[in-house]
Amino acid sequence: MNKAEKNSWSARLIIGVLILALFGVLMAAFQMDFTGKKGSQLGGEYDYNLDRLRKIDPALILYQENTAAKIQTGLTRPRTIVLGPENQIFVAGDTSLQIYSAAGKLIKTAALSGPARCLAVAEDGTIYAGLGDHIEVYSPELKQTAVWKSFGEKSILSSLAVRGENVFAADAGSRVVLHYDRAGNLLNQIGRKDPQKNIAGFVIPSPYFDLAVAPDGLLRVVNPGRHRIEAYTFGGELEITWGKFSSEIDGFCGCCNPVNFAMTADGSYVTCEKGLTRIKIYDGQGNFAGVVAGPDAFGKHDAICGEKGANCNEGGLDVAVDAGGKVFILDPYTGEIRVFTHKSGLN
Amino acid sequence: MTTDKKTETNLNRRQFLTNASRGACLLGLGGALGALASRAKSDDMVWQLDPYKCIACGNCATYCVLEQSAVKCVHSYAMCGYCELCTGFFEPEPPALNTGAENQLCPTGAIKRTYVEDPYYEYTIDEPLCIGCGKCVKGCNAFGNGSLFLQVRHDRCLNCNECSIAAACPSQAYTRVPASQPYLLKGKDTTA
Repeated sequence: MNKAEKNSWSARLIIGVLILALFGVLMAAFQMDFTGKKGSQLGGEYDYNLDRLRKIDPALILYQENTAAKIQTGLTRPRTIVLGPENQIFVAGDTSLQIYSAAGKLIKTAALSGPARCLAVAEDGTIYAGLGDHIEVYSPELKQTAVWKSFGEKSILSSLAVRGENVFAADAGSRVVLHYDRAGNLLNQIGRKDPQKNIAGFVIPSPYFDLAVAPDGLLRVVNPGRHRIEAYTFGGELEITWGKFSSEIDGFCGCCNPVNFAMTADGSYVTCEKGLTRIKIYDGQGNFAGVVAGPDAFGKHDAICGEKGANCNEGGLDVAVDAGGKVFILDPYTGEIRVFTHKSGLN
Repeated sequence: MTTDKKTETNLNRRQFLTNASRGACLLGLGGALGALASRAKSDDMVWQLDPYKCIACGNCATYCVLEQSAVKCVHSYAMCGYCELCTGFFEPEPPALNTGAENQLCPTGAIKRTYVEDPYYEYTIDEPLCIGCGKCVKGCNAFGNGSLFLQVRHDRCLNCNECSIAAACPSQAYTRVPASQPYLLKGKDTTA
């Protein structure tokens, strides 16, 4: 092999190596992900997955949605739903109050002095609205008749109930139930930690603290951080508690659930949970009876919640139940009132 | 005549070397000043993660050019519920509510749980163990108040001109913020 041939082979070898190197660089560049489309590539142990818990045995779902009865409130931030005389539907949101007929037709709207977080309607039609730290009273004609004194700077009213001459306000900020008469005089505080009365105190990690007066005449209050519902006399004596933490269907999931509940005429409980968005029904003794609607029914709600990320905890569903057992669910994210009826058609 | 020429040549070489070293020094000084000026300019703005846009996808853990990401979990104590059942600390279905490894959500055990009083517990981040995967952030957001969130830690961040995590962020949560206020915090009383 002469010198010229040797040079020729060397040149070919160098070119070959360069082509291989270029190919390698191109392959490496092709495999690199500068846009994040391939995801984190972290293993399964880094994945937070609730998919298994979102699945509910269809046999447990006792209710079905009446889609024709769905109401669009048009509110940007609806907060609470309650039922009044003649099964009228009262909704508060933004800075207004809406009243719908039992058939879902908008009857009246009124401007409130601010955003109301909670409502209660007396048998005579008097409306009590909780706005931040105080209660405002409206006549059935929607005229403001009184503004009650604030309980204090810490006060955040999250639920109201009225029975006879008694008005109860769940104060999430002070972690206590305020018992007023209908003139606005504070009569009593219920549920404050008192070991002598076997009262452990309310644990309210997120801004949900609901109450209702049951058909048996006792006050029912959610203790969300302890995953239970507690029954008190109007005098403040603790009678019974029920509920447990469990991600399974029969318990209350996450840090603090249920967020809201309503009672049926027979004393059963309809509960709303956040995190795993599910509506369930328990009998009067607190035994799990079935599911009204599971996470599959709230895909739109959960999708909005996912987009909101850290603000997700503001979207807890609220619930009301009419005398016939029809369940009304208020979705703060979609602004909808969805109606669920028992599959047996009993209601 | 020859000797004179040689001497002249030696002098020229010496002068050349002297001048060259002076020039190199000047260049070096200029370069250093330029680098400092450039650094000062880039320090005006730094990368940060908007916790209200973050979806805790996990990309922060793997796209940072550092071997261990500059992104870490931080905790807003003002927002925290001090829950007994913290969903940022516990698996969604914990076998028991204690600090056993099988109950913990964090794959690296970077969250410490301390009893305060019944039923409250405090949660703190062990920063060297945190890799910024955001799993706890997802758990906290799903059920709780969102008091756990991710931030770029500026004691670690190299402040790259083109942040590789920002390029890979699916929610466009990365933004430039003034170096004098380098964190985007939730709540008032946020500490790591």
